[in-house]
Amino acid sequence: MKIAVCMKRTPDSESRFKIAASSTAIDETGLKFDMDDFAGYAVEAALQLNEKAGGGETVVYAVGPDNVQETLRKAMSMGVDRAVHLKADAVPVDGIAVAKALAAELKTGGYDLILFGKHAFDSSAGVVGTATAELLGLPCITAASQLSVDGGTGSARRELEGAAEILSFPLPAVVTIDEGVARPRYPSLKGIMAAKKKPMETKPAQLGSARVTIQKMELPPERPAGRIIGEGSAAVPELVKLLQNEAKVL
Amino acid sequence: MTAGNIVFLFILIVAVGFFSLNVQRLVSYLQIGHPDARTGHPFTRLRNVFEIGIAQKKIFRDPVAGPMHALIFWGFMVLTAGTLEILIAGVYPAFSFEALLPKTIYTVYSASQDMFAVVVLAAVSFALYRRMVLHPRRLDGDDLEHTDALIILSMIAGLMITLLLSNAFMLAAFPQAMGPEKVVSHQLGSAFAHMMDPRTALARYHIFWWAHALLILAFLNYLPYSKHLHVITSLINVYFSNTSGPGVKGAMRSMDLEADVESFGASDVEQLSWKNLLDGYSCTECGRCTAACPANITGKLLSPRKIVINTRQRLMEKAPVMTGDRMDFMRPALSHGVESYEAATSDEVLGHRLLDSYITEEELWACTSCRACVVECPVSIDQLDIINEMRRNLVLTESRFPAELQPVFESLERNGSPWAFSAADRAGWTEGLDIPTMAQMRERGEKPDILFWVGCMGSFDDRAKKITVAFAHILRACGINFAILGQEEACHGDPARRMGNEYLYQILAKNTIETLDRYEVTTIVTHCPHCFHQMGNELPQFGGNYEVIHHSTYIERLLQDARVPLRSAEGQKLTVAYHDSCYLGRYNDVYDAPRQAMKRALPVIELIEAPRTKDRGLCCGAGGGRMFMEENTGKRINAERTEELLATGAAALAVACPFCMTMLTDGVKANGSEVPVYDISEIVAGQLQA
Ligand code: SF4
Ligand code: SF4
Repeated sequence: MKIAVCMKRTPDSESRFKIAASSTAIDETGLKFDMDDFAGYAVEAALQLNEKAGGGETVVYAVGPDNVQETLRKAMSMGVDRAVHLKADAVPVDGIAVAKALAAELKTGGYDLILFGKHAFDSSAGVVGTATAELLGLPCITAASQLSVDGGTGSARRELEGAAEILSFPLPAVVTIDEGVARPRYPSLKGIMAAKKKPMETKPAQLGSARVTIQKMELPPERPAGRIIGEGSAAVPELVKLLQNEAKVL
Repeated sequence: MTAGNIVFLFILIVAVGFFSLNVQRLVSYLQIGHPDARTGHPFTRLRNVFEIGIAQKKIFRDPVAGPMHALIFWGFMVLTAGTLEILIAGVYPAFSFEALLPKTIYTVYSASQDMFAVVVLAAVSFALYRRMVLHPRRLDGDDLEHTDALIILSMIAGLMITLLLSNAFMLAAFPQAMGPEKVVSHQLGSAFAHMMDPRTALARYHIFWWAHALLILAFLNYLPYSKHLHVITSLINVYFSNTSGPGVKGAMRSMDLEADVESFGASDVEQLSWKNLLDGYSCTECGRCTAACPANITGKLLSPRKIVINTRQRLMEKAPVMTGDRMDFMRPALSHGVESYEAATSDEVLGHRLLDSYITEEELWACTSCRACVVECPVSIDQLDIINEMRRNLVLTESRFPAELQPVFESLERNGSPWAFSAADRAGWTEGLDIPTMAQMRERGEKPDILFWVGCMGSFDDRAKKITVAFAHILRACGINFAILGQEEACHGDPARRMGNEYLYQILAKNTIETLDRYEVTTIVTHCPHCFHQMGNELPQFGGNYEVIHHSTYIERLLQDARVPLRSAEGQKLTVAYHDSCYLGRYNDVYDAPRQAMKRALPVIELIEAPRTKDRGLCCGAGGGRMFMEENTGKRINAERTEELLATGAAALAVACPFCMTMLTDGVKANGSEVPVYDISEIVAGQLQA
C-alpha cells in the first residue's frame, strides 16, 4: 500500500510555556520540539499496515521551516521510506492554509491512505486532516483508535463516550489517528543510520492565504494556592461551611 | 638411549603435537572476535598476575575452597618443574636438575617435589569429598556437568600417587638414588623394601614411572576438552583482564556510532571481543559470580556463570564453521550442556546465535550492573561486559527492550531526565535557600570553587531532594563557595548507557561536557554515585576531564579538616547499618569515607555491618536501569537487601546514594518496619550547630 503520513513538529508537553514578547506566540527559547504525539501514532499505524501487507511505501510530509527536517528524519529512522518537506517560514495557524499546501502535494501522489494525528498538541484544532480530505474529495475518518485494511476497504474504530463505533470506508481515504493504535516504536541506531541515507525532498509549500491569525495569547490565570483548614474530623465543620459559603458548591 | 626412551620420545612428540594443534585451534577461534587492545600497562597487568593469579588473592575470598585451591595451584606450580625433569629424563635418562643447580637449591627443590605431592593429594581428596559429599550450592545449577571435574580431580590424584610410588619403588630398589630430603618417598621406600626384593621394586618403579609420564601427557591433552582449560588460560586471562585495572574499573567501552556496520553491540560471538571469548575459555564454572549475583539470588533467570559458559559453548559451536575448521572431535567436550546443537549442520549452526538461542532477553535485562560477579571471579572474567554488549545490540540494533524503558529514553531525550519532569523545575529544591547558579555567578563576574552537581534524583525526587538540601546546608555551614547549574543541568546519559542506549548516552554526555566546559568547571561534587562514576570515570572518553568527588569523600575531608561546625553529640546514641552503593564501592572503592564521615560527625554512632558488606555488599536492585523496570520474577532485590540490613537490629539504615535511598525506603515500608533510612549527609547535617 502507498501511505502518506502528515505530521507536525510540536514542543514537548512537559515544558513550562511562556508567551513571547509579541504576545501572539509562545516563547520558543529552551523548548524541546519533537514529532507530535498523535503524529507518532499515525506513523506507527502506517508502518504496521505496510508490515502486515508485506510491502508498500510510507511517505511523511511536513510543512514548516528547515527544522522540521529533523522530525521527518526521525520518522524515517522509525522505518518510513522517504520524506517530503514543504518549506514555509512558519506554520500558519490557519489549518486550511496548511491543508491547501498538503492537498496540492498529495493530489498526484496516488496514495491509498493519508494519515494525520487526530490533532496537534499545540493548537488542538484538528482542522488540517479533515480540510485536506475535503480538498481532495476523499472520505474522512477522524480520531481512529484502530485501523485495518482489507483489499480496497478500510475499517476503523472510534472511541465514543462510553461506546465505540466501527466504520468501514473505501480507499483512498483520509484517517486521523487517536492513541490506541500501538505505541510509536523507538528508533534503533540502525534505523537512525539508515534514515540518514533515505531521500528527503524539499519544495516550497503552496500555502493558501491565512485567513485566521492570532490576536493575543494569554496564560490561564494562576490558581490560588490551596488552604489547609485543619486535620482530621475536627476540620470537617469548617470545611463544610467554606464549601457552602465561599465556594458555593454545596 | 634404550628402546623405552625411543618409544617415550615418540609418544611425547605425538602428545605434544596433538596438544599444540588444539591450542592453535583454540587461538584461531579467538580470532573471530573483535580486536581489543589489551597490551598497554604491562606492569599493572603483571601485578594482577602476581596478586590475583599467583598469590590467589580472589580465590581466598572463599574461606574453604580458597586454601584448598591455592594449595593445588601452588603445588602444580612447584611440581611442573619436576614434571619437566621427568619428561626430559624419559628421553635422556641421565638428565637431572642436580647437575644444573647448586646443591642447596637442588635439595630444596627435591624436597618440595615430595612434600607438595602429598599436599596436593590431600587438597584434591578434600576437593573430591567436597564435590561428592558436601555438594556446595554454588556448584549447582546452570546445567553443570560434574563428570569433567571428577575426571580432572582423579587425574591429579593419580598423578600424585604415581609420582610418590615411582619414587618410593626406586628407593626400595636403590636407597641411595635420591637424597634424604625426600622424606615421604624414603618412608614409603623402606616400607616397600621390607616387602619385596630390589628387582621387583625396580619393575614396579618402571610401571609407575610410565603411568605417571603417560598420565601427564593424557592430562595435558584432556585440558582443552575440559573446563580445566583454565589451568592454561587463567594466568593469561588475568594478564589481559581490565577488571582490576589498568584503566578505570567498570567503565563501559565507548562505541563508534558512525561505523558503517549492519549491527551494533553483540548478538553473537564474533561481535564480542577476543577477550570476552578468552573469558569463556577461562571460566572454571566455580559459580562464585552467580552465588553473589543479586538477580540470581532473588530468583531471576540471570546467572553470570551461564552467560560466560554460553559464550564458550556458542564459540565452540560457531567458530569451527567460521574458521573452516571442521574437526568435530574438538567441539563436544567444551560445549557440553547443549547436546541438541552438537550435531547441527553448518546452516543450522549459522541459524543459531548467542542472543536468543543461548541467552535470552529476560536474562540480560535482569542485571543490575552491580559488578558483584566481576569482583568475585577468581580469574578476572568480565561477565558484565558481555551483558552490556548484548544489551547494546538489543537496543541499538533491534530496538527490543522492556516497554517501561521507552518513556525513559524519550524523557531523557526531551527533558534531560529519566522522568518526565520539566527542566524548568530542576532547581525547585532551592526555593528559599538562595543557592547561586553558575550563570548568576558568571554574571556577577565570580567563579565558584566547586560545582554542586545535583543529579536528576536529587533534583526531582521528593525524598532525594531532602538529601540535596542537607548537603547544601553542610556546604553553606562550612563556607564553601559553590554553585549549581540549575536549569542548565541535564542528565549526562549514564542511565541510557547502562540500558544499552549508547547513542542517546553519547548525545547527552557530549552536551554535559559542553555545558561544563562553557563554565570552565574543574571540580564537581555530587551526592549521586552514578553521576560520580559517570562524570569522573566515563566522560573522559569524550574529552570531559574534571575532578569529581562524591559527597561522602568531600564531607569526610571537611570533617577531617575540622571545618564543619558541629554541635555536641552528648546524650545522643544511634546504631546504624550502612549499605554500600555499588557505584561507590565496587566501582570506585569508596568504602571508608561514608562510614568515617558519620563517625566523625556523630562519634557516639555505632556502625553495624550486615553479613554482606563492602565489596561483598548486596545491590539495592536499582542499578543498570533496573530502577525503571518492573520486577515481577522472584523476590524483590530491595526486599532481600532490606531484610538483611534490618536483621542487624540497627536503629537506622544509612545510604550514600539517592537510588539506594528509594529502594531501601520502599523495602523498609514493605517490611512494615519504622526504621528510618538516612543519607550520610543527613546524619552529618543533623549535627550542624544551629
Ligand atoms: S553485575 Fe550484578 S546483577 Fe549483573 S550479572 Fe553481575 S552480579 Fe548479577
Ligand atoms: S565467571 Fe568466574 S566466578 Fe563465574 S563461574 Fe566462571 S570462573 Fe567462576
